[in-house]
Amino acid sequence: MTAVLEVADYTLDYATRQGPVRALEDVSLSIARGEVVGLVGESGSGKTSLAWAIMRYLAPNAIERGGTLRLSGTDLRALKPAGLTAIRGKRLGMVFQDPSTSLNPTLTLGRQITEVLEFHRGLSPADAVREAEAMFARVGLRDPAAMMRRYPHEASGGEKQRVVIATAFACRPECILFDEPTTALDVVTARQILDLFRELQAETGVASLYISHDLAVVSGLAQRVAVIHQGRIVEQGATRAVFGAPQAEYTRALLAAVPRPDVRLTETVPQPGPPLVAVQDMTVRYGRPSLFRRRARGVIGASAVTLDVRAGEILGIVGESGSGKSTLARALTGLAAFEGGLAFEGRPIGGVRAMDRAYRRQVQIVFQHPDSSLNPRQRIREILARPSRLYGGEGDVGALLQSVSLPADFADRFPHQLSGGQKQRVAIARAFAPRPKLVICDEVTSSLDVSVQASVIRLLVELQRSSGAAYLFITHDINLVRQIAHRIAVMQRGQLVETITAEDLATRGPQHAYTAQLLAAVPRLDIGETPDDA
Amino acid sequence: MSGRYLLRRTGLILYTLLVVSVLVFGITQVLPADAATMLLGENATPEQLAAIRERLGLNDPIWTQYLRWLGGVVTGDFGTSMRTGLPVLPQIAEALSRSLLLAALSIGLMLVLALPLGILAAVRRGRPVDLLVSLASYVGISLPEFVTATLAILVFADWLGWLPPTGYVPLTEDPARSLLHLILPVATISLILVAHVSRMVRSELVDALHTDYVRAARLKGLPERVVLRRHALRNALLPTITIVALDVGYVLGGIIVVEEIFAIPGIGRTLIVAVQNRDLPMIQAGALVMAATYCIANFLADLAYAALDRRIQYG
Repeated sequence: MTAVLEVADYTLDYATRQGPVRALEDVSLSIARGEVVGLVGESGSGKTSLAWAIMRYLAPNAIERGGTLRLSGTDLRALKPAGLTAIRGKRLGMVFQDPSTSLNPTLTLGRQITEVLEFHRGLSPADAVREAEAMFARVGLRDPAAMMRRYPHEASGGEKQRVVIATAFACRPECILFDEPTTALDVVTARQILDLFRELQAETGVASLYISHDLAVVSGLAQRVAVIHQGRIVEQGATRAVFGAPQAEYTRALLAAVPRPDVRLTETVPQPGPPLVAVQDMTVRYGRPSLFRRRARGVIGASAVTLDVRAGEILGIVGESGSGKSTLARALTGLAAFEGGLAFEGRPIGGVRAMDRAYRRQVQIVFQHPDSSLNPRQRIREILARPSRLYGGEGDVGALLQSVSLPADFADRFPHQLSGGQKQRVAIARAFAPRPKLVICDEVTSSLDVSVQASVIRLLVELQRSSGAAYLFITHDINLVRQIAHRIAVMQRGQLVETITAEDLATRGPQHAYTAQLLAAVPRLDIGETPDDA
Repeated sequence: MSGRYLLRRTGLILYTLLVVSVLVFGITQVLPADAATMLLGENATPEQLAAIRERLGLNDPIWTQYLRWLGGVVTGDFGTSMRTGLPVLPQIAEALSRSLLLAALSIGLMLVLALPLGILAAVRRGRPVDLLVSLASYVGISLPEFVTATLAILVFADWLGWLPPTGYVPLTEDPARSLLHLILPVATISLILVAHVSRMVRSELVDALHTDYVRAARLKGLPERVVLRRHALRNALLPTITIVALDVGYVLGGIIVVEEIFAIPGIGRTLIVAVQNRDLPMIQAGALVMAATYCIANFLADLAYAALDRRIQYG
């Protein structure tokens, strides 16, 4: 097997004010024709730096310390700008993480692929359009001719990623780098994109480097896998061997952190008696009333949702983006106006205005991005002391920090001095400061790395056990929610389609077709089978 | 963009102008001394004043006067100038045509200069060219137009004697001399515009060059000039259009100063003369025309924006 892409002993530094920082150290990797190599690592591991190095798109402060990068014998590092334009897009392609930012909003989808065909393959504009339409049809876009004329905002995330993939494959490159191509997509869409990738890859035999933090996805795609940690490849080999019998300590830790639906983390049981929160036919409309029209035409965010949460219960809410799960969180915390009934501890709450201090104290929320939910100009002490004082807590910041396993001296730090996981712990501590009865967790682990996610989940489970608070745990990760929730509510297009206990889901299986679809779409970490059977 | 949108937008412009007309009429009513005193001078007898007030309808309730005035405006009758005794409309129209020539040349020159300068500075970010353009822009923005105008007259007219210092020659009379007279005023107005807009183009383009889609375009192997023109510039120009439209507001204000200094009988100078003479119909008409110009400029900018960015859907 001759290597199409070959990286040998590649070392890269970034110049910073504190001196050079090593991003990649002695990285060696090769991909043969027809092969998919997975590159797995957490954020900051250097996996994306390697992609930029191969694409020759390094930041100005990058310093290459040595090593070779070859594409079928061509020395990529020796290329001049002109030689580079001839290779990029033609022999070496790339598919990006977020199709909504990697497509130009002011050009039609068609134009963004025909320009490549015209430039690299020298097609006439008319031929390029014909060829692009054929490519669009090949990547499973319905009505390719119409799609050619659409603009990015007129297409869904999945459709956009199909366009990006069509563009990457347009010139039949020898090698394509896939940088987390499904991370920004919904589970079901991601599944379809993965299937498309598998199909096209088998058909064209393009050598593929598949970069991802998601071990389950990689386990189903790649023949070989390389695990990267702090700029070094700690382990490399056949996927089955690496995931089945990991040698490196780090690989073992990564694998252990992957949520497994069959391993329950919660041991508590909800308290019997009347529900803590009862939601009856709750509807949320978005959109502002205009000057002339009093009632907002409004997009429906959630429609006639009825559910209840018991004291001490973890109710998981799963669904794709736009399914209304966050809308529900917004309504319950008074961030969005709602219609319908809401009762807290049997006390009816008529609307946002009726949410008094007592209610707001007992219903707390933790958001997805601690970066935007923690005030960057406040020290941790101020962030934690304020809600604690406001709601008559004792205001012991040290104890609060300790409760989320952070050292007490973090109180004098600013949020930017903390890592993502630590910031999220601060956000959790803030939510628990007024001793709430319901904590809404809105995708709290989605922006965290796998191993950090696992520790934050353990913390939440522990806090739930010790405080007895109920959780409304919103996530798109159905595997995760099966590990911790007592009951799971499934939402689709603003409606609650099914509420099922975790136990019933495990033993009897999903009752609603959409739940089944969601479950089927989630990639499983498979270590026993060969990737081809997946 | 639908026909309904155009209709609604036109309606909004008319509504704005209606509000402006109320304000303009209101302000001229608050001024000390009414039209009668102004017409007859300070030595008029009370009987004379009462007679002329009766004749002009100044004793009617204020809203009757307003409606009478508005009715005139709608039918194209802005009244007669109190200073010259001639109808206002032809005078305003003529002054406006001179000012529009001045403004159009200034904005044209600004586009010709500001875009390339901004692009150059953005592409060569951090290099000497960028610093030079930035420095020049700062100087341009910091100097008020009466300073630049005076300096320009001093240097190019007094010392060097290349250009006429002040005055206006109609384009139809002697095109060459007319343009010669326009060079300094146009340069004065465009200096600030160029400085302002080129900075805007630079910063927008720098942002656009750092977007994911520009990176994607480069990694598709497109040559840099295509990336710049097709992917970056188009998006960078969008906010610039808004700025240019807002700058029309500046031009309207700046033109008053510049016309006064260079003795150009445009709308600005007409307004100043009208204010000095308390020529109420002229002030009202001038202010209304300026407001209309501003509304129309912003409307056109919105249309251009929508044409360039298909995400904008007016409707």
